[in-house]
Amino acid sequence: MMAAMIAELGSVFSFAIFAASDDGGASPWLLLAGPAGGGGVYFLSWRYYRNTHKSHAFERETRVEAQSITGDEHKIKSITGTKKSGIDGANQTDHRRRVQRLP
Amino acid sequence: MTNLPPPGDHPPSSTTDTQADPAVTPTNPAGDAITDPTGSADPVIDTTNDRLDDGINRCPKCGSTDIQLRASAGMLVCLFCRHQWAEARLDETIENGDLTTLTGTTIGSGAADIDASVDVLTTMKCAGCGAEVVVNTAENMSARCHWCRHVLTVNEQIPNGAVPDAVLPFKITHEDAVSRIEKFAGKRRLFADRAFVSEFTPQNIVGVYMPYMVVDSNASADIAGQGEIQTRKYTRGSGDDEETVYDADRYDVRRHVDFTVDDLTVESSAERANFDSSANTNNIINTILPFDTENAVKWNASYLTGYTSEKRDQDVAHLVPVVEDQLLSIARSQVESSVKQYDRGVRWEREHLDVHGTRWLSMYLPVWLYSYYHESGGKGMVHYIAVNGRTGEVMGSVPVSHKRLLAAAVSVGGVIDAGVIALMVATS
Repeated sequence: MMAAMIAELGSVFSFAIFAASDDGGASPWLLLAGPAGGGGVYFLSWRYYRNTHKSHAFERETRVEAQSITGDEHKIKSITGTKKSGIDGANQTDHRRRVQRLP
Repeated sequence: MTNLPPPGDHPPSSTTDTQADPAVTPTNPAGDAITDPTGSADPVIDTTNDRLDDGINRCPKCGSTDIQLRASAGMLVCLFCRHQWAEARLDETIENGDLTTLTGTTIGSGAADIDASVDVLTTMKCAGCGAEVVVNTAENMSARCHWCRHVLTVNEQIPNGAVPDAVLPFKITHEDAVSRIEKFAGKRRLFADRAFVSEFTPQNIVGVYMPYMVVDSNASADIAGQGEIQTRKYTRGSGDDEETVYDADRYDVRRHVDFTVDDLTVESSAERANFDSSANTNNIINTILPFDTENAVKWNASYLTGYTSEKRDQDVAHLVPVVEDQLLSIARSQVESSVKQYDRGVRWEREHLDVHGTRWLSMYLPVWLYSYYHESGGKGMVHYIAVNGRTGEVMGSVPVSHKRLLAAAVSVGGVIDAGVIALMVATS
């Protein structure tokens, strides 16, 4: 847990120093780093004690034998000049979030 | 790559298919019959331990009925002559076969639907003296005859969920489990609730056989959505208006996977399957899965002597949605590696599951459990620290002292702000 706290402090300080050097002078809004860091410590510590986010990783921990994956894809459009760094609603790694179930 | 059938063109799921399964052989290697006592079309694997009858379960060497599990050896031991033996592994006595050929729904006789009219109280006639002894199967699977001191055990698969197809004996000893729980809680003392710290007595842990359904599946899944591949990244504007923008190609993406799952394990007690973390800590017990269920042995109530057990209250039909949900998650996990080229991500929008076949066995699996009731803000909750009785994996929920945690958070925040102020002064 101490490692998590130190990492949290380190990241917050890095953020503060980066923001200060970016402007050539520190901004008062950097004082928000204190409450943010404190909140992070509270949340990470609480989760470390309570483990409410933990569950059996059955996707990885169950014996699964899959045949070769098949499928297809076709281009439907080109996107130009979007400010978004990724597709909206990306969920390829969130295996437990259910989507529309076809009968 | 092959073309997928269009969405909605799939045959219906066969999980609830009531057609008889022609692939199931009528007998297994041990000669146990696969019968259909319920009269339904679903084949049933008879997992009854024919060697045992209700009542006196004697040591095969000396005939004593004082038998219990020796966890360190994973064997039953006669407390009179110290003879040790074990029941046969269930996997060795039933037809397992190739899961890719599994069709229909097959269930173990110990996983049959629970008959609500069957009383949890079972009356057994003592074979030693003839007295009648009542066992409350909701809490115990054995009782000592109060007249002749013989131990009577419930071995018949009565349809009340009390006797499963198999049991996985404890391997982790009480001392080992206590040590693991002490180590787990010891790392979480600083911000733990003070009452928890002062009342912490891990020696009070209880060995519990928890009820689970262990499910083999043969399934296929189709998943469809959209993915994007970045073609260009550049900046536009200048000064404060400079921004990074992207060009990308968007694709319709579809994937199909055929897969088998061996020994998917789900809770078969409705209470334990409730994972509402605002109201309970059942997720802790779920986290210590999996178990080496392939080593489960045929039922013998003597494995439970000295331990407690929780009765199954869920039938196969109740658990089908849970299993299908997990199968879909497994399918999504399996296809993840096939969409790595979509570097801007994939948004799956539709999914379809075909369950070609399932096989259900009910099992008692071993868990060492430390429980602590804690009230906070007028709301009570039982916090568990659980140890997998086979692998020793530990997980737990330790009640938090919010005052201590808040003090630490405020201190950390103060230190950060002091650093920021120093930085501001230095750069002004």
